[in-house]
Amino acid sequence: MTVTTPTAARPAPAQAPRRKRFSWTPYFFIGLAVLYLLLFAVIPLLKGLDLSFTNTRLLNPTAGRYIGVDNYEHLLGGGAFFKSVVTTLVYTAFTVVLSLTLGTVSAFVINRYFPGRTLARAVIVMPWAVPTVAVALVFRWIYNDSTGIANNASSALGLGERGWLTDPAYGMPSVVIATVWKVTPFVMLVVLAALQSVPEDLYEATRIDGADSYSTFKLVVLPFLLPTLRVVALLMTIWSFRRFEIIWLLTGGGPVDATNTIVIDVYREAFNNSQLGLAAAAGMLGLVLSLVVTAIYFVVEQRANKQNGMNE
Amino acid sequence: MLTTDTPFLRWMGNSAVVAFGTTLLSLILATMAAYALSRYKFVGKGPMGFLFFATQMLPEALLVVPLYSLFAALGLLNQLGGLVLVNTAFAMPVALFILKSAIDNIPYELEESARVDGCSPLSILQVMVVPLVAPSMAAAAVITFFDGWNEYLFATTFIRDRSSWVASTGLASFIGEFSTPLDTVFSAALVFTVPAVVFFLLMQRKIVSGLTAGSVKG
Repeated sequence: MTVTTPTAARPAPAQAPRRKRFSWTPYFFIGLAVLYLLLFAVIPLLKGLDLSFTNTRLLNPTAGRYIGVDNYEHLLGGGAFFKSVVTTLVYTAFTVVLSLTLGTVSAFVINRYFPGRTLARAVIVMPWAVPTVAVALVFRWIYNDSTGIANNASSALGLGERGWLTDPAYGMPSVVIATVWKVTPFVMLVVLAALQSVPEDLYEATRIDGADSYSTFKLVVLPFLLPTLRVVALLMTIWSFRRFEIIWLLTGGGPVDATNTIVIDVYREAFNNSQLGLAAAAGMLGLVLSLVVTAIYFVVEQRANKQNGMNE
Repeated sequence: MLTTDTPFLRWMGNSAVVAFGTTLLSLILATMAAYALSRYKFVGKGPMGFLFFATQMLPEALLVVPLYSLFAALGLLNQLGGLVLVNTAFAMPVALFILKSAIDNIPYELEESARVDGCSPLSILQVMVVPLVAPSMAAAAVITFFDGWNEYLFATTFIRDRSSWVASTGLASFIGEFSTPLDTVFSAALVFTVPAVVFFLLMQRKIVSGLTAGSVKG
């Protein structure tokens, strides 16, 4: 510690100095965690793949036989699975776009100084901390046909009453609204953190150069924000693909399959229809879909990085 | 009402067991793994790092089917310990990302001097690294506690006995049930929510810095 070189400050090494001899130490440290994930994620995944080629039933799980790709043919041949794919994409698109927009806008608002800002921030962020089951309970009450405030509000506005959770036309919007309420604070938190990491002297420099607020935004704030926004968009997309609880507890996939996303479909096939094999196949297809979306995201990001590199 | 008509206190207790168990197990596994990923170069480091990221992409609803048959074979259905085991698989990688970026920021020279003094890697981790990343550990603890406290899908699928339910399953059982008065349901929801919200408010800043530090590095 005392042997510091007086020459220019060198960057702190993020990595340990290279070690020449083979050592078991890192494997000891990481081994337990890797083993753990192998047991509780990788093996179940492989088991799911295996199940997807069988006709296993929930009630008699040992009696399943291999039936080749029948489950996949059944899913890809019929229209029902494609409908749940479309439902998933619609749910994801609306949730991601709305929560990103609202979250970013409210982060900008809350980033300005005003009296009571700390309190406002705590209140806005609260929905993220509320457990999903409690959120679902509250929204079921809000959407209730006879006693809910959604209908009170819409009839007060002269729009008449709607079956928010019972009319197929309103199922998806109702679920999206509840989801956006719950997840937008997360977007806001992360964007706010990114906004506050913009160095103050950068603002000053552009001010001295005489930039108006639009060019300050475009030249200073946006470049800082874009990487964060991209990461948040990916996270929100992946999470939308696998989101189960809020949809299940609000509509159970209904009314008339209006909110039947892939994961809801998987759960229904397995635990309502007892078709473990078919459910596993649907789950595998869902996983492939989210892998494709993630791959698209990485390609887009790499292209964006390349373009930035060429502009500089 | 709440405590006489339903075993809600018991469900809350079960939730606490699951959440604390998940937090403890996640932090132990994640701290050690994060230290290895941050400080060592070793064969297989890339694939192992990817494994932690990839599990975040797996939908629980996909794994719930094979895990159900695995747990049925192991006799882990209806066990709170079984819930701790599955929740940890999903919560631990998040803790790992937070802790790795925290350990990355500690200058290595500190540990080097301890190593020269003859400390073993494990005691360096315990005595030097853990105290330095304590704030990040707190953030990771809150997030994993959240996961365990909120989890519903595995809880509703794996736990059949009403007395072994956790609070999220108990609350969800009120849905569509007309015998339970609304004020009871809402007080239950409130009691269930308060611990999570209080934790959150205490840790707000740390969570944000932990999340962004992790996300910037992808």
